[in-house]
Amino acid sequence: MIFGFTRQRHKKLDEKYNMYYVLYMTHFGSTIRTQRESLRREDRRFSLRQVAQRIGVEPAYLSKIERGDVAPPSEATTIRLARELGENPDVLLALAGKVSSDLQEIIRKRPQLFAELIRQMREAPDDAILRVVREVRDGDW
Amino acid sequence: MIILENDCLDIRCPEVHDHAWCGIEFQRTLRIPDDGEDHFLPPGLGCFPLRHLDDYAERLPGEWLSRGGVIMPMFQAEALWIGFDADSYPFAIKIATGKICALTGESWVDHLNTDPQDYLVLPEQPWLDGYCVEKGIVRQFVAMPLGEGYTAEEQLQGAAQHGGLQIVAYPMKRERYEKMSKEIGQDDYLASYPEMDMGLAPGGRMQQEIYEDPYGLDAWDQRHPSRCFVTIANSVQWMAITGERPPIKPPTARDYTDAGLPWFDYYDADAKAVSGSDVLKNLKSVKQTGEAKGGAPLPENESIGVSRVVSLQDTRGRKVREYAAGEAVDS
Repeated sequence: MIFGFTRQRHKKLDEKYNMYYVLYMTHFGSTIRTQRESLRREDRRFSLRQVAQRIGVEPAYLSKIERGDVAPPSEATTIRLARELGENPDVLLALAGKVSSDLQEIIRKRPQLFAELIRQMREAPDDAILRVVREVRDGDW
Repeated sequence: MIILENDCLDIRCPEVHDHAWCGIEFQRTLRIPDDGEDHFLPPGLGCFPLRHLDDYAERLPGEWLSRGGVIMPMFQAEALWIGFDADSYPFAIKIATGKICALTGESWVDHLNTDPQDYLVLPEQPWLDGYCVEKGIVRQFVAMPLGEGYTAEEQLQGAAQHGGLQIVAYPMKRERYEKMSKEIGQDDYLASYPEMDMGLAPGGRMQQEIYEDPYGLDAWDQRHPSRCFVTIANSVQWMAITGERPPIKPPTARDYTDAGLPWFDYYDADAKAVSGSDVLKNLKSVKQTGEAKGGAPLPENESIGVSRVVSLQDTRGRKVREYAAGEAVDS
């Protein structure tokens, strides 16, 4: 029975994992399709084919991404897609269930400090978070 | 407040409105020929790197440090354009070089003026490539050493004091924005070489309209300025200060054109352009100043015959002048 329990646990984990997976695929895909089509209404360079060509993927693959049929693309492709569509790369990566490699590197260097900082800021309003962000100092000129 | 994000100035005014945000970037570009002809808009070749000046405090002259802001590398005779990004929240932006307003040629003041208009309005204005010398014509921003008489500042003030670029941004007043939204439904080493400061000078002529403020002076919240001094370092200074290599030199306008790559033309059918500044119109270009001194300060300044021009309409919030290898563009 332990064996059965373990299998069931795995199944539940798989279901949970798949649920997130489907959620990411669907939300990510619909977001980029909505934005691309909005841009295409004013500029035909935002056709599926031309956008796919500019970010270096096959049009059929981009179509599947938009429909949520496949998982979101790699970090590099997601960033190219964000820039192409005028979206924030970090926002699109988050929709894809990812954290950019530069942010991972920053956290890896001082994991305890940044984990604590992020948890402290979890519920803080935007203006409170911006107060801890480093400002460009204005001087006397 | 201004923060530095991926080599862009990210300006936010959460004390005014959660939506009050705009971005400013400095794009590397081709230097257009300074030959008296009116050229099309050159492409963007990627952002110049920007760093906090304070990060290199021990290597900088005290005068540079006192100005605060950021530092950016440019080669002598290299050109730049300034790109603006904004969503729906309007901003008024003043741009000066050496504390000379790039739109009027007047000396720097923090506040906004309308007669003549000395600021740009976002999101209407996507870019600024140079000094507004005539209606629909700018002279390209070109980096030159201070102290040799090329810069706008030296020509108008008779002295090389400031150099660099100066920016102040004002968000629209909260009440005005909300009303409008409802209506529309939505180091020591360096201290010994002060003569190496860099400034911006007027280069070749280019077709670019600076748009009139469609909202009026009263729309801007001048109680909440965001200011920044952008110090320009030459490549030797940049490496000595930051330890980083500057970006490689951009291609020449001729090489770019001969490769069949596109130039750009932009228009906004709904916007009115401001008149150019007579003060700026009378400035000598880098080539003219150089010739008067018996020199030739601009290498590879041959005229070009452009055959491929991409016409761009108003695509607000999008940086459409960036060219990526292999990108399909329409001619």
